[in-house]
Amino acid sequence: MQSKHLIFFVLLLLTTSVFCQIDDLKWKKAYLSYEVPDQFRNRDYSFESDNAAEFLEKSFVNAYWFFISDVDGDNCPFDPSCSSFFIYATEETNVFQATLMFSDRLTRDSNPIKKNKYPWDKNGHYYDPAYNYTLNQERIDYLPPTFIVEDE
Amino acid sequence: MRKSLLIIFFLQPLAIPQSTTFDFYSPQNIKLFANYLFCEEDYLRAIEQYELLENQFVNDTIKFKIMLGYSDLKLYQQSNDLIKSLNHESKLYPDAYLVSMKNELLISHKRLHYIALSSFNLSQQAGFNKLSAISLLYGNEQSIKKSDFVSVFNSAQQNTASFLYDYKFNPPYRSPAWAGIFSAIIPGSGKMYVGEWGDGITGLLLTGLFAVLAYDNFRADHNTRAWIFTGIGAFFYAGNIYGSVATAQIYNAKFNFDFQNGLNLFLEQENYFLPEYDFCN
Amino acid sequence: MTSAIKIIFSITLILLSFINVFPQTTFEEQYIYAANLYSEEDYFDAITEFKRLLFFDESDNYVHSVNLYIGLSYKMGGRFSDALQYLALAKLNSSSEEEFFDSSIEIVKVNILRRTTRRAFALLDTIANDTSFVHKLEEINYWKGWAYIFSDEWGKAASTFSEIQSTPQLAVLCDSVYNELYNPQLAKYLSIVPGAGQFYTGEYVSGLISIGWNVLWGYLTIEAFIGDRIFDGVLIGALLWWRFYSGNIQNAEKFALEKNLEITNSALYYLQNDYEGEKP
Repeated sequence: MQSKHLIFFVLLLLTTSVFCQIDDLKWKKAYLSYEVPDQFRNRDYSFESDNAAEFLEKSFVNAYWFFISDVDGDNCPFDPSCSSFFIYATEETNVFQATLMFSDRLTRDSNPIKKNKYPWDKNGHYYDPAYNYTLNQERIDYLPPTFIVEDE
Repeated sequence: MRKSLLIIFFLQPLAIPQSTTFDFYSPQNIKLFANYLFCEEDYLRAIEQYELLENQFVNDTIKFKIMLGYSDLKLYQQSNDLIKSLNHESKLYPDAYLVSMKNELLISHKRLHYIALSSFNLSQQAGFNKLSAISLLYGNEQSIKKSDFVSVFNSAQQNTASFLYDYKFNPPYRSPAWAGIFSAIIPGSGKMYVGEWGDGITGLLLTGLFAVLAYDNFRADHNTRAWIFTGIGAFFYAGNIYGSVATAQIYNAKFNFDFQNGLNLFLEQENYFLPEYDFCN
Repeated sequence: MTSAIKIIFSITLILLSFINVFPQTTFEEQYIYAANLYSEEDYFDAITEFKRLLFFDESDNYVHSVNLYIGLSYKMGGRFSDALQYLALAKLNSSSEEEFFDSSIEIVKVNILRRTTRRAFALLDTIANDTSFVHKLEEINYWKGWAYIFSDEWGKAASTFSEIQSTPQLAVLCDSVYNELYNPQLAKYLSIVPGAGQFYTGEYVSGLISIGWNVLWGYLTIEAFIGDRIFDGVLIGALLWWRFYSGNIQNAEKFALEKNLEITNSALYYLQNDYEGEKP
């Protein structure tokens, strides 16, 4: 008699515990903002770095952005732009490997035929992140050319 | 005394006027509403309503419908947990078993090691065989021959199954090492080997252009300019080798992505080889 | 039975006849319960209870109002496609002109929020042309003004609100936004003179740097042509001077658009958080 009750209560507990996931799935009130999101390319002008070499590199890149890149228009079809790509590449690997990645990026940028090769970001640039080129196969996050990246 | 009490008891409803009442939350009405929501494919609400029913009103059909609902909501583990409460003798148990196989495939992305039930009918047995076979493509061991693999599927599915088998066990990968070697010999050829003709030709032209400019300037004794062009040429040359290796890796990743996509599409189109369940007509 | 027990039995029996052991609700109570869930912002459950009412309501007394509530609940959850579906059902099942108008306005509001303002304008024009709603013209114009705001036409929004007596502050706000906005086309044309477009948009540093580069490359290009170094001149002119010149034009337009976005977003922030009138 007692073992039958025990089995009954265990089964009851099992079924009720499974059913309690529903509350987490119910959607809640959404916060809808009237404001239009900023779709312009924004630079990170900070000098934050882990060591002197990175600081030097960031200073050089910031100077390039301020005096040249921000003045000569939006010429890079990629996102991140080539200079930002170099920064991200240094963060992912080291300065030497980042230089090789940057050289390859410039070559690909010089190729006028880029259609159907890269996915897009929401601003119409080709999405080409540095982590795909670190030679670490596990790190590659392949996205097809038809894909539009919303959040990077 | 008893007669007068009985009269009072039965006259009371007539004496006090009442508005139309309806028991929205009776087990029968909750079940009716839940069934309606299930047929509307509002699975989350349907499950929530079935959850309100006490155990004595929850039969195997309802449990199976909840399993289907959870599976459709991509809550595969929750769906699988329900099979433990199903009666093994129930008519729906073999179908629930197949649904649990589908769930397990989507949870683990590994080869399935399920045993066929003796209570399977012909179509359930066929579904079981197909699911078990297709799960092979999620593992890495090529443990059955292609002919045995393809023969499990019906004629309309065999082409796709054969194609997927080949892609899984004989993938047309490109070697990153060879791509790098080719580009070291002829700049850009490594990328052409991977199929990136545009990038390959661009790499060849850039490296070639700066090499020619360097040579020209050395010949004309403009050493400073010559060394600058040499440096830039070396920069593009090294980058082209590196890029060829990286491009071969991305090519292989693209191939894996396309294969996985194709496999998922095939499974979705075939509804994971599960029968169509119609609880709404 | 003893008389005491008889009395207790009788009282219990009478009391039991008044107690509902199995509580039952009226349709009206179910409606109020669901509406309370809506007002408590428990939108998911509100939809469940409204759907329950709709499922069992054979008299169709609640079809319009329940569909309206369900549509509004979906709207509050940001699920605009579902919201429009149920608001359309509410409109279809309206039993009076007032209900039809209210449903239509709710559909307009959802279209405004998801910025499908062309649809909102089309709907507003349809109800404005309906002679039954002549007395609602002010309200129609009010939502037209909001639709203009969300389609970034602040000038038209200002003139629409100025025709409505009850919303002078919106007319003033839209007018001030319109007057503050930069003209991206003008910024581009001014940039024919390097730096002028940037100066127009208040980006003086960028303008000065742009002038500097254009003067440098322009000088080098002309000097190369004068010195009969045609190839050098073409290279510097095409690759460097043209790059910085076209960049100066592009930047002027970009700065104008950026500044405009800041101005309009600040107005939209005010409208969402501080404006106390009716909002979409």
